[in-house]
Amino acid sequence: MIMKGQKRKHPPEDVEVSDRSSPTWESQRQFVFSVSLNKYQHGQELPEPSLRRSVLIANTLRQVSLEAFGAPSVDMEVSQPLSSSSSALQESIFTAAKHHPAVMFSNSHSALVSCPLVSINDVSNCARSPANCNLSASNVPLSVKDEDEDWGSMSTDSDFSLSAAISSILTALDSTIDSSPQTAPRTPLKSLENLSGSSDGGVEWVKQGVRGYGGSWEQQEEWRVRESSFEVMRSSYLSELTVEDLFQDIDTSLLERDMGVLGLRGSGGGYPTGEDLLRYLPPFSSSPPHPFSLSLNQNMKCLPSLSSFSPLSSSPLSLSSPPFSSQNHVREGLELDHLMEILVES
Amino acid sequence: MAGKLLLKGGKGPTSLGVAGGNDFQWCFSQVKGAIDEDVADADIISTVEFNYSGELLATGDKGGRVVIFQHEQESKNRPHLRGEYNVYSTFQSHEPEFDYLKSLEIEEKINKIRWLPQQNAAHFLLSTNDKTIKLWKISERDKRAEGYNLKDEDGRLRDPFRITSLRVPVLMPMDLMVEASPRRIFANAHTYHINSISVNSDHETYLSADDLRINLWHLEITDRSFNIVDIKPANMEELTEVITAAECHPHQCNVFVYSSSKGTIRLCDMRSAALCDRHSKFFEEPEDPSSRSFFSEIISSISDVKFSHSGRYMMTRDYLSVKVWDLNMENRPVETYQVHEYLRSKLCSLYENDCIFDKFECCWNGSDSAIMTGSYNNFFRMFDRNTRRDITLEASRESSKPRATLKPRKVSTGGKRKKDEISVDSLDFNKKILHTAWHPKDNVIAVAATNNLYIFQDKIN
Repeated sequence: MIMKGQKRKHPPEDVEVSDRSSPTWESQRQFVFSVSLNKYQHGQELPEPSLRRSVLIANTLRQVSLEAFGAPSVDMEVSQPLSSSSSALQESIFTAAKHHPAVMFSNSHSALVSCPLVSINDVSNCARSPANCNLSASNVPLSVKDEDEDWGSMSTDSDFSLSAAISSILTALDSTIDSSPQTAPRTPLKSLENLSGSSDGGVEWVKQGVRGYGGSWEQQEEWRVRESSFEVMRSSYLSELTVEDLFQDIDTSLLERDMGVLGLRGSGGGYPTGEDLLRYLPPFSSSPPHPFSLSLNQNMKCLPSLSSFSPLSSSPLSLSSPPFSSQNHVREGLELDHLMEILVES
Repeated sequence: MAGKLLLKGGKGPTSLGVAGGNDFQWCFSQVKGAIDEDVADADIISTVEFNYSGELLATGDKGGRVVIFQHEQESKNRPHLRGEYNVYSTFQSHEPEFDYLKSLEIEEKINKIRWLPQQNAAHFLLSTNDKTIKLWKISERDKRAEGYNLKDEDGRLRDPFRITSLRVPVLMPMDLMVEASPRRIFANAHTYHINSISVNSDHETYLSADDLRINLWHLEITDRSFNIVDIKPANMEELTEVITAAECHPHQCNVFVYSSSKGTIRLCDMRSAALCDRHSKFFEEPEDPSSRSFFSEIISSISDVKFSHSGRYMMTRDYLSVKVWDLNMENRPVETYQVHEYLRSKLCSLYENDCIFDKFECCWNGSDSAIMTGSYNNFFRMFDRNTRRDITLEASRESSKPRATLKPRKVSTGGKRKKDEISVDSLDFNKKILHTAWHPKDNVIAVAATNNLYIFQDKIN
């Protein structure tokens, strides 16, 4: 039943188990969870994941993690989504959760309380919760533990220190979700479209850019550009970086080396760091004669390495490939850097 | 419909009574496509559609090509054979494109083809990929004008001063040439992937649906469309449901339906508001709590919705079943047919290998008395709505002898496997029949199996 060339891992009981109390239910739930997580991550890595597939997987993940706590409907407000969308971080969390369930236990409940409705970006939360359920079922009966639960009471094995550090990062991020952005080391990652100030700014910018050519673009084109300007950096619709995030804790040398397609939003206003970035980049002052090259202009503003690029002479294909890969580079580099910083501090 | 009269043949095990009570036997007619084991990705058929008369059969593939087959007239010498479908026209409908703003490739795969009703000698069809819809005109040319006095015999232009007499060109017959030309290109209206197009009964407008929006177009106007449904949430993180299919009502030009990934269907009336976000009718079957599982939502996701020809019913296909709904009853379907219930216990594995996301289509026969849909292992299923009988057939090269009657297939679910049955674990999940089409008038069906197109018809005794 397996497709050619595919390895079979963790063969679950294939019989559908709808009875929660059955022992196979838990193993099946965990299997579904791990498969869903993998699929979700793989989907995000694709340049353009199928929306239907992503939504179905995310809904399944949500359902599985909610069922872990047996509380399908919790009447609490949706909090800001958790940060950490890097697959590296998620993998490490999940591996840690799987192998060192005891450590995660104390934080799980509080984390869940603060982010009860598992949104798409709460995957890291999900990563921890099922392991806890597993533990609770097999060991001590589930009891509410404070966030202040003493870490020292947990095993002091060196193996646990990494997972402890990771979970503490997440808890720290949890608690700073609602607080002002200045106190958090990084603002939670949000998708571009949802930032109210920026969206208007972005629209304005696009409109200016487009209308500057005598409104020669048709209605739909403008609409499409407006939409796609928000989605231009996306590798998925769900886990995004803001310009602010990238600029906050990196030095400009990193920026000048490789940058993603970020300048599009930077000039939208409300993000002074974005404008700072643009100042570092060589100015692009030529005025192209027709609308299409305007978008190329804006793209090129954020690619200092291509500053000598002439919009009309080269093929746009070469323009588009660097931003995507370098954006990923920067993102992963930043996440790991940040993680290391915190580990060193603790 | 009791008391049907059996006019010909006996009631054999392979027969399925359709369209007037006669028993028919499905037999192989033709297969189109390459035989080799290595299937090029571009050759995979992605859509199949008969035109309104059934004379033409169009297929679209992943390589962006459209191939149209035409039904040849029955030969006078051999009247017991139905005519065959032969290639009429082949053209490249869509090319791969690059979206520079998003740095993404746009696939050229043809997602849907829909024919327009024929109004003159030419044929028109709409074909769409993920982002762009095109209106194609397919016309025949079998005459050529000859005898212009503007050119020499060898084609050089004559000096106007040397032309002293007027010569009217004469139409001379030539070999039939079928030309396909793009007449309209409807682009830049969809941010998300287009999954459906549907021609309205007014023959002037059509709708196109992507994951989150539905647009209404006029066939003559390419630079704008009306957005009639938008389910995109303000906060994309709150997105839990997408549009999976949409169709216009066959007779009421103001009515259309769209299905969702949560197993619901909404019927909308365009007269009520410009933006049809509020549905007129909401069709959903309450979930059976005893069969609830982790995959309940995924398998409830509707992959296709089709109105019956009468316009009174609609049919939806989800992963394991086909449901027929009466448009006047919203709380549950009137008929439910299990396509491959034996897969219910395998959902975990099917989720792992992604098969659970396969989108199967379904279709009605001309009289709405039977429905057909595909399955795995190149099996396809037909259900007779009147007799409640069903049959499983296979599209394979082995059973592809001319006019050979198809043998019904069976999947064994229990421990004991009877002879000729196939066990669930032996099914080939790479061989899936996602696209099928039924001739609007006759009992001729087209079944797309990966890169091959099978045509089956009833045996006229």
